[in-house]
Amino acid sequence: MTSKTILIGSPNSGKSLLFNRLTGLNQKVANFPGITVNISSGKSIADPDQLVMDFPGVYSLRAISAEETVSVDAFYAGIKDPEISSVVCVVDTTRLEKGLIFALQVINACAEHNKPVVIAANMIDVLNSHGMTMDIDGLATALKVPVVAISAKSGLGLDQLQELIANHRQSPEPFSSNVLPRDMIATDDSVVHRQAQQLAASFGPKGDLLINSQTRLDQFFLHSWFGGISFVLIMFLLFQSIFTWAAPIMDGVEAILQFAAGVVIPLLPAGAISDFVSDALFGGIGAFLVFVPQIFILTLVVGMLEDSGYLARAAVICHKPLRIFGLTGKSFIPMLSSVACAIPGIYAARTVDSPRKRWLTYLAIPLMPCSARLPVYSLLIAAFIPATGVFGGVVGWQGLAMVSIYLFGILCGLLVTALVSRSSAALQTDLPFVLEMPPYRLPSWKPLLRNAWDRSKHFVTKAGKVIFMVTVVIWVLGYFPNQGADLGESWLGYMGKLIEPAFAPFGLDWKYGVAILTSFLAREVFVGTLGTLFGIEGGEENVISLVTHIQNSGLPIGAGFALLVFFSIALQCVSTLAVLRRETGSWRLPAQLFISYSIFAYAAAWLTFIIVQSIAG
Amino acid sequence: MTLWDLKQGTSATVESFCAALQGDYRTRLSELGFHPGEQIACVLSPSLGAPKLYRVNNTVYSLDDSVASLITVA
Repeated sequence: MTSKTILIGSPNSGKSLLFNRLTGLNQKVANFPGITVNISSGKSIADPDQLVMDFPGVYSLRAISAEETVSVDAFYAGIKDPEISSVVCVVDTTRLEKGLIFALQVINACAEHNKPVVIAANMIDVLNSHGMTMDIDGLATALKVPVVAISAKSGLGLDQLQELIANHRQSPEPFSSNVLPRDMIATDDSVVHRQAQQLAASFGPKGDLLINSQTRLDQFFLHSWFGGISFVLIMFLLFQSIFTWAAPIMDGVEAILQFAAGVVIPLLPAGAISDFVSDALFGGIGAFLVFVPQIFILTLVVGMLEDSGYLARAAVICHKPLRIFGLTGKSFIPMLSSVACAIPGIYAARTVDSPRKRWLTYLAIPLMPCSARLPVYSLLIAAFIPATGVFGGVVGWQGLAMVSIYLFGILCGLLVTALVSRSSAALQTDLPFVLEMPPYRLPSWKPLLRNAWDRSKHFVTKAGKVIFMVTVVIWVLGYFPNQGADLGESWLGYMGKLIEPAFAPFGLDWKYGVAILTSFLAREVFVGTLGTLFGIEGGEENVISLVTHIQNSGLPIGAGFALLVFFSIALQCVSTLAVLRRETGSWRLPAQLFISYSIFAYAAAWLTFIIVQSIAG
Repeated sequence: MTLWDLKQGTSATVESFCAALQGDYRTRLSELGFHPGEQIACVLSPSLGAPKLYRVNNTVYSLDDSVASLITVA
């Protein structure tokens, strides 16, 4: 019979790394407090009947933020579950007192619900490398629960831990030191704090453990000048990497697709089937696949920053500037995550402990330039901005254009929060800003690459399904009743012309109108739809890139810019709306955002068209 | 004086929390190590009023003025 083990610990206690060690699953190991908001589980390598569940890191069982409440409630539900056979509490031995406060809370909670507890005293290797040690046996005797010295990093002590997970079935007693009456224990916080302090003083390591290099790095990265410059530089490199540096890989994918189309299509009988494969499959879905390398690189770079410990510093740097816009430094992580995808961004917003600031962060998130916008931006920029560069081609105009449109989205988000927060005095009050600075460390490449791969795969399979369905419907509507002879006379052509007046003010014809409408399912569908439409229209020689199609379609430059602006504002993402509904508990906010951002996007696009066209002549 | 007044590179002992600090936050700060009697060092004090870095036990935290100015130290 399968039995389950709960893994719990404070943020940065090495809990996720231990989980990876025990299960072999490469769950993401993040280096920012509170980034794990979902419970991941995996079968133990040592005992496949044992399921290990990684609970989100919390500082205390006394929750003070929405995110902590979710995690703490989940923990209490877990220890009441009869299927849970043991609880492993991970404690960082380099910061023993803090870890013990939490461990004592866990022991007392488990005593109440008769669940066996094992304390995993992690990072014992760090103590050893500083020539220090601690009294593990003494601590175990005092706590009356098993304590195992482990190193999740090196694997030290894991056999013993697994042995205890499998066999230790004795529930703990509530912890009591002999000086205090028993009934004071679980309720009075200061008692627990004093107990932890005493235990750490008696059994913990003695001496200075903080690496001086961390202070020196902080002095650089948080310096008024160097800190600001390195922040701008790091963000700039992030955006350059996803455009300029991803280009060779994207060219490779496109070349492979063209080669595959060249091989497959001649093998098919001429007619509807061959047209479907070349227009809908290679034209529609292929156009979208080309952009997957960018999503991979973006996830990789953001993950690298997170793992290195830099993101927590970035939150410190951004705290003061973000306060001007009504936000807090803690809003930075959700907003940066939203650059990959709004969904993890919305979840990460739980770490913003002030409810009002969290609500304001939700307003900014849909305007952050998410990776679903990336295919649209890439396509339009490639079509309208020359592929030349400055500084010998290292910094390309297209990369600069990408940085600009990204900054535009971020600026819109900040502008909205600044305006809304000033509308009420209550929105300007904030909870105190307290953030742990994790040690700097070199990112571990394997989990990062795995995570970037998983995200890309998820993107392809999840978005791919929608794109496939939309593409098929669009292709059928566009191909019939006249077998692709004249797109304008097709069913889709008639429908498109009905909505054409809505998009005419910014110079778009009905094909773009149809593509915009379908993109309200998910933004990247825009690229697939256009690919299919141009594929049908292109007839025989359709295996040319979508960029060339757009350039040949005579779209005015103002319309290209208007489209960029429209996509950077409009909330075209069903998943974002659904997750916002779940997090806020009602449709109110998602509905308000959808309507207001649609109107905002339309107005801004129209204005952009007029301005750019008047400049372009 | 308050924790916010502490100069970079100096240490002080926590005396008390000001009444303006919410109960939940007092508990959390104590759990993180900022409890009366504990020695705190200011490891970094960036200019322009950015949150400062404080070290307690072997951990570094960033606190802004809204909280650090509510902790009295001596």
